[in-house]
Amino acid sequence: MRGARWAAVGLLVLAAGAGGGGVALAGPIEDKVIPLERYTTPKGRALAAAHQPRLLKFSEYVYGCLPWVDVQKQSIGFQRPKFAAGDDRYFSTWVIIDQKEDPQFGAVPQPRRMSAMFSRFGIDLMRRMATIHDVVVDSNVEGFSVVVSWLKPGTLKSGQPVNESVAVFVEKAAALDYLEGRLPAAELARRVRPLGFDGQKDLGVIPLEIWDDPLMATYKVPNYEPPPGITC
Amino acid sequence: MRIRMLVPALVLAVGAAAGGCATSEEWAEWRAHSSHFASGQHATFSMRNREGTAPRVARADIDAARSENWWGKAITVSPDQIFQN
Repeated sequence: MRGARWAAVGLLVLAAGAGGGGVALAGPIEDKVIPLERYTTPKGRALAAAHQPRLLKFSEYVYGCLPWVDVQKQSIGFQRPKFAAGDDRYFSTWVIIDQKEDPQFGAVPQPRRMSAMFSRFGIDLMRRMATIHDVVVDSNVEGFSVVVSWLKPGTLKSGQPVNESVAVFVEKAAALDYLEGRLPAAELARRVRPLGFDGQKDLGVIPLEIWDDPLMATYKVPNYEPPPGITC
Repeated sequence: MRIRMLVPALVLAVGAAAGGCATSEEWAEWRAHSSHFASGQHATFSMRNREGTAPRVARADIDAARSENWWGKAITVSPDQIFQN
């Protein structure tokens, strides 16, 4: 049932990609994709050039269908992690969640908050990214990376808001095994590389837990109508 | 002797854990909660909808609500702290 639902999402993304026409690309969609000129290696540029139309369609899909998620500018693309020695390219997206202050959330220790936000938003994004078949099967794509940022509890009152962020890198095989039900969440958590950031303070590798959180798959903005030409 | 030292240490550890964490009930409530989004405010949305017409929310309404609730530029990790091009 779950697999069928995600297969349907994937088909919609791919159908949108195949459709060509549809929605005219506007700033809020195009500016989320890393421009070709920002890539500094032939491998990065080649990947981006090969898949740019699909990245734009993905950006359009997130913009139109997940309006409660704000994608960081120039973040959808093929990023090379800072820790990589070679030119390993990860299919990447960075989202900012404009979450309200919540005392319950604020009472949770920081690594647990990072686990919660990645489980809720990061896993779902990765699942949707994995439906873009041509990107997933490209042998030059090493894996997925998702960055999730949100307001650190209590910092709004201090006058200087700070975002907490978790950046997670996962190799393609592990990600697909998890998404297709062959790898338990606890095992995935052991195989990812989760980096935590408190504002700009690098927390290094954090202890990440992953669990199922259905919010992204079930949440709907009441009475929301996607922009014309976008099918969700 | 060792046990005598261990007991207060355990008490302190449990106390710190309880004080610094949400209870499991509170945590369960957060996880079940679906309306955390600051841009989910309905003030802006409702302005567009007239009486007698079916209410609808467009993407632009959500952007407007997000701008209304914008809390200023937050200090955020820079992309070059995570990635190299």
